[in-house]
Amino acid sequence: MEAFLADVPEWILWVAKVALIFGGLIGTAALMSLAERKVSAWMQFRHGPNRVGPFGLLQPLADGIKFIFKEELIPEGANKFLFRLAPALAAIPSMMTIAVIPIGTIVVGEKKIPFSIAQLDLGIMYMLALGGLSVYGAILGGWASNSKYSLLGGLRASAQMISYELTLILSILVIVALSGSLDLGAIVTAQRENGLWNVFTPFGAVAFVLFTIASFAETNRHPFDFAECEPELVGGFHTEYSAMRFALFFLGEYCAMTVMACLNATLFFGGPSVPLWPEAPWFLGILAFLLKAGFFLFLFIWVRWTLPRFRFDQLMRLGWKVALPIALANVLVVGAWVAFTAKGS
Amino acid sequence: MTKIQINGREVEADPKQPLIRACHDQGVDVPMYCYHPGLAPVGSCRICQVEVAGAPGQPSRVVAACRTPVSEGMVVSTDTPKAHDTRRECLEFLLKNHPLDCPICDKAGECDLQDYAFNEGQGKGRSSEPRRKLEKRKSLGDVIVLDEERCILCSRCVRFFTDVTKKAQLTVEGLGSHSVINTYMDKPLEGNYQGNLADICPVGALTSKKFRFQARVWNLSKTLSTCGECSRGCSISVESLRAKQVKRIRPRYNAAVNQWWMCDTGRHALAPLTRALAPEGEVLGGRLRTAAVRGYNGLECSDDVAALDLAADMLASHPGTLVIVSPFATQEEAKAALALAQALKATPQFVSPAPNALKDDLLHTGDPCPNRRGLLELGFGALAPADALAALAVAPSAVLAGERVLELLGHAGLALLPKKLRLVAFDVEASDLASLDIAFPVPTHVEKSGHWINVDGRVGVLNVALPPPALVRRLDLQLAALTAKLSAVPQGS
Amino acid sequence: MVVVQRKELTLAERLYLPEVLRGLSLTFRKFFEKPITRQYPEQPLPTDEVTRGQPRLVVKDDGNIACVSCGMCEVACPAYAITIDGGETDRGIEREPKRFEIDMLRCILCGFCEEACPKDAIFMSNELELADFTRAGLVYDLEKLKRPKSALQERIDYVYRLNNRWRSKQ
Repeated sequence: MEAFLADVPEWILWVAKVALIFGGLIGTAALMSLAERKVSAWMQFRHGPNRVGPFGLLQPLADGIKFIFKEELIPEGANKFLFRLAPALAAIPSMMTIAVIPIGTIVVGEKKIPFSIAQLDLGIMYMLALGGLSVYGAILGGWASNSKYSLLGGLRASAQMISYELTLILSILVIVALSGSLDLGAIVTAQRENGLWNVFTPFGAVAFVLFTIASFAETNRHPFDFAECEPELVGGFHTEYSAMRFALFFLGEYCAMTVMACLNATLFFGGPSVPLWPEAPWFLGILAFLLKAGFFLFLFIWVRWTLPRFRFDQLMRLGWKVALPIALANVLVVGAWVAFTAKGS
Repeated sequence: MTKIQINGREVEADPKQPLIRACHDQGVDVPMYCYHPGLAPVGSCRICQVEVAGAPGQPSRVVAACRTPVSEGMVVSTDTPKAHDTRRECLEFLLKNHPLDCPICDKAGECDLQDYAFNEGQGKGRSSEPRRKLEKRKSLGDVIVLDEERCILCSRCVRFFTDVTKKAQLTVEGLGSHSVINTYMDKPLEGNYQGNLADICPVGALTSKKFRFQARVWNLSKTLSTCGECSRGCSISVESLRAKQVKRIRPRYNAAVNQWWMCDTGRHALAPLTRALAPEGEVLGGRLRTAAVRGYNGLECSDDVAALDLAADMLASHPGTLVIVSPFATQEEAKAALALAQALKATPQFVSPAPNALKDDLLHTGDPCPNRRGLLELGFGALAPADALAALAVAPSAVLAGERVLELLGHAGLALLPKKLRLVAFDVEASDLASLDIAFPVPTHVEKSGHWINVDGRVGVLNVALPPPALVRRLDLQLAALTAKLSAVPQGS
Repeated sequence: MVVVQRKELTLAERLYLPEVLRGLSLTFRKFFEKPITRQYPEQPLPTDEVTRGQPRLVVKDDGNIACVSCGMCEVACPAYAITIDGGETDRGIEREPKRFEIDMLRCILCGFCEEACPKDAIFMSNELELADFTRAGLVYDLEKLKRPKSALQERIDYVYRLNNRWRSKQ
């Protein structure tokens, strides 16, 4: 077995990794749609979906079948091309960003196979660039629907995403400065070498809080889900969407959440490193990563069913007047600290 | 007129009438079971007792208002505790043997005993004796069923035969608590007026076999109308259930025509009023639903405007039209037929069947034309069915209009008419005649409003008791439309 | 005029984060509590004698329907759900329903029919489920309404008890 794995050509490994990671991502997104309902049900003393399959586990499958077979409506006066394009624009970038997340290292005999699709030196740049694209899905979907609710939802979504993107980037910048690399793998290595996860450093802790808040806003999750905001905007930018295109928006949202959870685990919690046991076997590392990411996924749901939605002006105030100054100050101080200590040189 | 005081009110009363009439005329409610304004009072039920002040220094007396003549200066109270108590005790005796049948009884809802027991009676009976067990379903002929247990022996039915039909048929048989109503020698009742017994019986003892258990009376909607079975034109109330079916016909008081009575022929003349509609899309096999026009396969359903156009063209191209209406035509319909006859230069006539054998001294005139007098006054000529058929046989075209006109002319006779006759009929039901070219549906006389004039020149009113079927329009409007079309068509073309 | 006094927020409350954590801890605790939802078709609602379900007609032990089609329920029905056509029968009661229909879509389960019935012929059963593919199927006829007396005995006893309590106060 080991010999066989050691001898397989590189491209087969590559294809296998892609299949595994993308499959895992989409599977996670599907499971999240179930988990969201289950967790919310449990928090509200309910059962949640429990009719399809054991414990309702086949519910996402049933939903998928339903979405596929539902009639698709395109509103009169909609820009048909953009209307069809928008869900793809929302889903594809968030799926692509998973490529640079270092999930761990598979060790086969002497051979070490990094368990991520791409090990880019500019990993973080790649992520931010693609992540920034996903706002197009919301705003184009909102605009192309020819509906006031959709348009308002799209506008809010873009305003919110752009506002919080700054905070997000600045808090990542702190980690980049501390680690001295844009490569996510290098950031993980740096944390392991330091023996200290970034979240436990003073600057890292501030950055972690800011990053978490911004990641909620970036993924349009409660308490910042202004893009959807049912009581005010019916369904926000996807009001007019139905069937599989509607499902694509959801898929995009859950993929974005998954990636954000992975990123959070990678940047602040040492990625696949096992706490207090640096020599842990490789599969425990992967397990640790999955647990960390899983916790943040759970946090997304947990927060959603705990906090009420902000008001839009409160959201903007928080973004521009609170989060951004703190992030800027944090970057400034970290920059100075890195510049004036031996660490930076 | 005599001056008396009723419940503290000075009123004038007719000294020839019993006291109860004076009270009722003044709108004072005095219950009654044995008393009926159309029958001689006997004072057997004692429920109409009222308090009459005695002479000065004397105590007041309680008297039966139906047997007490009005006298000058009488001071009558119907509402005093004494009067109430006496009536309540009287009621208790009447209820002693009356079964608790109300859920089953047909009279429930219009029962005098029930009404007054509800107002005045006690909630419980005090008697520990069992009630009388008697025959509950005793047939008294073809029309009436007697429930002996329910009978309170008021003898209204007995007096109906002696006073109204002048032929005694019923009597109270036995003595004391063994008394029951029965016919002489157990013979079934006969005569044409048995149905009135069910109306006058104050309880549910005498009920109509035809109406038995057909409907609860409070579900019936009552429409004032006029009977069409003879030229007497008795005032009736047509009672229909859920606006779908006429369930019974009852007389309604009309002092000048029929008073409280009507004959069984009129009472049971429900068959022409409850005829089923023809199957959807078909012309024969029931009442006409829509206009029908002769096509290759006999009569076919048609749009009524198209049929009317066709009828106008046909009549205009076959001059010399006969206009014959039904004796059931109302004055309004006759007027419209008159205008049509003028437009066609025809003499208006109506079918006048021979008098039947139902004529009696009381109400029935034997003449089956309810509006004979009205039609004659409008200038219609009476035409016996045989004469009408003879005239039709040589006519180029004809209009037959009105409820049951084909039936009264006789289907057998109509079937012999030559095929070249152009025949337009307005009737309730079409028939399969070779000469019938166009047929229009009309409402029955309980489905339309209008007026008949009876044998004495009195106007009888018809009201809409049932909605006519969806596409059936009033005959007078249809005739007027045809007249209008005719005047638009060039004559003789 | 109503003056609403807004509570002065403490610094911790204004910072919001501690409050967020408090909320999260609350929902997390509730997470482990037992669901109170009833799994309906498997766990039907408990019914007892007081349950006013759909009205049903009593079939007496001799197999005959107790109803004499007196029309009292028809009159009492505030929703005009009941339609009765009576007819003659050879049985001692003379009259029985030939058609007895309750439009269950109209029925409001008020129990007036039960109260009005002089013959103890109609009672509110504990049957509450009502589903069909057509409206016509929910107009229940005689056959659908008949229930043996034993099936309704609990409710009958209850109504008797109730009425007796009312009578004793007279």
